[in-house]
Amino acid sequence: MGNPEVRPPLPVVGGTGTAGAVAKQPDGSQVFLTTKLEKLLDAARKNSLWPLPFGTACCAIEFMSFMMSHYDISRFGAEVVRFSPRQSDLLIVAGTVTDKMAPVMVRIYEQMAEPKYVISMGVCACTGGFYRAYHVVQGIDEFIPVDVYVPGCPPTPEALLQGVVKLQEMISNGETRYQRALAAKRASQAQAGG
Amino acid sequence: MANREERLAAIRRAFPEGSGVVELAGGDMQTLRVDRQALPALARHLKDDPALDFKLLLDVCGVDYPGREERFEVVYHLTSLEHGHRVRLKVPVREEDPVVPSVYGVWRAADWFEREAFDMFGIRFEGHPNLKRILCHPAFQGHALRKDYDPGQRWLLREGEQEEPAWAKEAQEDEDHFETQVLNLGPSHPATHGTLRTVVRLNGEVITKAETEIGYLHRCFEKMAETHTWNQVIPYTDRLNYCSAMMNGVGYALAVEKMLGVEAPPRAQVIRLILSELSRVMDHIVDVGANLNDVGAMTPFLYMYQGREELYSVLEACCGSRLTMSYVRIGGLSNDTPPDFEDSVRYLLKRIPKLIGDMETLITENRIFRGRTEGVGAISAESAVDWGWTGPCLRATGVAYDVRKAHPYLGYETYDFKVPVAHAGDTYARYLVRVEEMKQSLRIVEQALERLQPGPIITDNHNVALPPKEDVYTEMESLIWHFKLIMEGMKVPVGESYGYTEAANGELGYYIVSDGGGHPYRIKVRPPCFAIFQAFPHILEGHMVADTVAIMSSLNIIAGELDR
Amino acid sequence: MITRDVVVCEAKPLRLVQRLYLVEIAKGLAVTLRHFIANLFARKYTVTIEWPEVKREYSERLRGRHILLTREDGSPRCVACYMCEEACPAECIHIEAEDVASSPTVEFEKRPKVFTIDLLRCVYCGFCVDACPKEAIVMSRVHEMAFASREEGVVGLDQLLQRGPFEKLDLGYRPYYGTPRSRIELPIPVKPRGGIQEGR
Repeated sequence: MGNPEVRPPLPVVGGTGTAGAVAKQPDGSQVFLTTKLEKLLDAARKNSLWPLPFGTACCAIEFMSFMMSHYDISRFGAEVVRFSPRQSDLLIVAGTVTDKMAPVMVRIYEQMAEPKYVISMGVCACTGGFYRAYHVVQGIDEFIPVDVYVPGCPPTPEALLQGVVKLQEMISNGETRYQRALAAKRASQAQAGG
Repeated sequence: MANREERLAAIRRAFPEGSGVVELAGGDMQTLRVDRQALPALARHLKDDPALDFKLLLDVCGVDYPGREERFEVVYHLTSLEHGHRVRLKVPVREEDPVVPSVYGVWRAADWFEREAFDMFGIRFEGHPNLKRILCHPAFQGHALRKDYDPGQRWLLREGEQEEPAWAKEAQEDEDHFETQVLNLGPSHPATHGTLRTVVRLNGEVITKAETEIGYLHRCFEKMAETHTWNQVIPYTDRLNYCSAMMNGVGYALAVEKMLGVEAPPRAQVIRLILSELSRVMDHIVDVGANLNDVGAMTPFLYMYQGREELYSVLEACCGSRLTMSYVRIGGLSNDTPPDFEDSVRYLLKRIPKLIGDMETLITENRIFRGRTEGVGAISAESAVDWGWTGPCLRATGVAYDVRKAHPYLGYETYDFKVPVAHAGDTYARYLVRVEEMKQSLRIVEQALERLQPGPIITDNHNVALPPKEDVYTEMESLIWHFKLIMEGMKVPVGESYGYTEAANGELGYYIVSDGGGHPYRIKVRPPCFAIFQAFPHILEGHMVADTVAIMSSLNIIAGELDR
Repeated sequence: MITRDVVVCEAKPLRLVQRLYLVEIAKGLAVTLRHFIANLFARKYTVTIEWPEVKREYSERLRGRHILLTREDGSPRCVACYMCEEACPAECIHIEAEDVASSPTVEFEKRPKVFTIDLLRCVYCGFCVDACPKEAIVMSRVHEMAFASREEGVVGLDQLLQRGPFEKLDLGYRPYYGTPRSRIELPIPVKPRGGIQEGR
């Protein structure tokens, strides 16, 4: 990653919002702290996302529709729908998450191995939808970080496909939470080392 | 079928005047006000007396009237399969002493319904074997459907506070001194169709004890209904049984129209019937397909799902959304169907039987499927009625009870169709009944298409339905009706009513209480899967672990309807 | 009441041929091979839509993203009457009204200063379109909008106003239906003629 004595220390711009955690050079240009090997790995990862459909409600039916022969996610490399957290890397939360279900969701999220991505499908998972109620979580980002929010009640399978394509673009640009955290860690290590 | 006076005479033989049973006049069905001391004896009498024969307990719920001295009221709905009559019992209790004797000993169907009344109102049922919270989580404080409970007040559930059955925590040995194992299935599980959790104790592979936990999708439909207007509840009803969303909306609209005294125009009724039957086909496609998928046959599910996709495009052309249609309005429908609706439904009537035929060739006489499902999950007819079962699961045990034949609505008495029954009561019988029901539904749709005449699709009573847009843009009077209906909501007269239809899973009932305002006072949904699923832990005992998924998916448990 | 109009579905006992299972395997393979060969050689039987190269045409009444229509001079038709905000079950519309100082008629006395819709709360039920007395809010057929953050989902007046002439808008659910389309598109996809079909 470059010789610390030669390059000046790199200030890191914070990791919130849509601009990912990048490292800004003193002359204003931005550098993503990735290597060519990681670009290859990202290309491999984005073309073989293995979903874990955490389907709770009506959006799970549209997710089933998305898996079936009419829309067919296997064209995106995501046919292997595994319900085990250890064997998947994309958590699609489809449907309303209630307060009773939230610890289960958090436990499953924590059991997944990095790199992991989260798509929040449907307005109930994004913000609670029209259930402003005593038992409904008002958005899963109260508990877990989300990469892509797909609106719709339920979103048509095309909308979810567009969400998956957007996630693939985010992976190749390095904008997902996992990549931003990795970049921030590397930048702080470089800063500490330099 | 005896009328009200004869039934009252049969009751008065055992409970003369002054023994705590009073008949309330009027109402949509016979209503009795019962003192709580008289309740257990009256329940036993209603079930055993041959003239009354109320063997099916449909619903137990609570209603909160904070202004009254006796604040809570527990309402029971009963029906007789033999005679066809219905009765409603109301037991008032005070807030300081909310205890009612349980009727679990008379009808086992009261099991989960009473637990729900306890969870939502805090009413305790004496003699109930397992009175715990059922829908809200264990760390929830307060009782959610009381009128003084703020709808947005949430309670956080932490990781360690989740529910564990007491018998699961202790180690147990079987007769050979091997330790038995406790296994947790769900709530995030490929085969639990949503969010259902079952805890089983295993002796090898055989289940010796089971307990289910629900409430993982409790979305507070009933509280949301109290804070929205009558028409705004319709999108919420779509999300109850989301596999066949139209039928919930039709059931709700029929129940409210009964209270209002308004009838939808004939064209709207025929379209509602066509789309309800197509929704029934859609629901059975998902259920049979998921059942097959769980026992390992993945191909037929892929074939039949195409039928569902084609149904979606017809629905999307009618109302704009595939799954959660919000097509029904109180008084009719929101829009007319497109001009080529008839042609595309006729195309579907040719296409779907081919897909069902492909599935039947692969599955029905298949030795592996029959070995996996025959004899599995069997239940007897008396047991099923005692647990409160209705719908295809009850018809698979031999009891031919279908609301479309018993108490027809939307003109079902004029259509020629048969009700499929089977006698074995096991998973294979439920599969056969559902496949036959799909074929009968397509027959009904074919007959209904003949009766489709042009006409209005919503009532012109502007206290109930929005006026047509042309008038709203040009006339002042229509604009004022429009304004009042949106801002205040329609006013439903004071009273209560129980409206019921045959949904895909069984009898879907709406018990609606109105206080005359624009918001419902109380809506209680009687979900068919709630009664069916409470028998599941008892069916499971003696089966093996792999049978759990076969039985659960054949019962068609939809969590949106179960937990509301 | 128990009905007598029944058809009894009984499990038929298995014949020896079915129990031996070889014929059953052949029958099953015949069904699946029929589908396979039909898909392979006659592509019109394939039911898969190859999104994004091939896009299914949404129905004419699809409830998608909202559009605020404008009058000829470009100002929004909305008069900030708050009916859509009242009708919305999800409470996702927020309007703040302001007076129009120089209004030509009494009819257009107010206009919205702030009109935001939280697209991540909206349940796309269409009640706002039904409630509007001025046909100022309609829904388009855009349903594919994924966001990277919750703040992106709250759209304001500048993003909701219609862009371009009325005839060119891709309208979905709206109160009038004008000339209704004459065909319901059943989901047999149309293979694109030479290359990628242009997006809607």
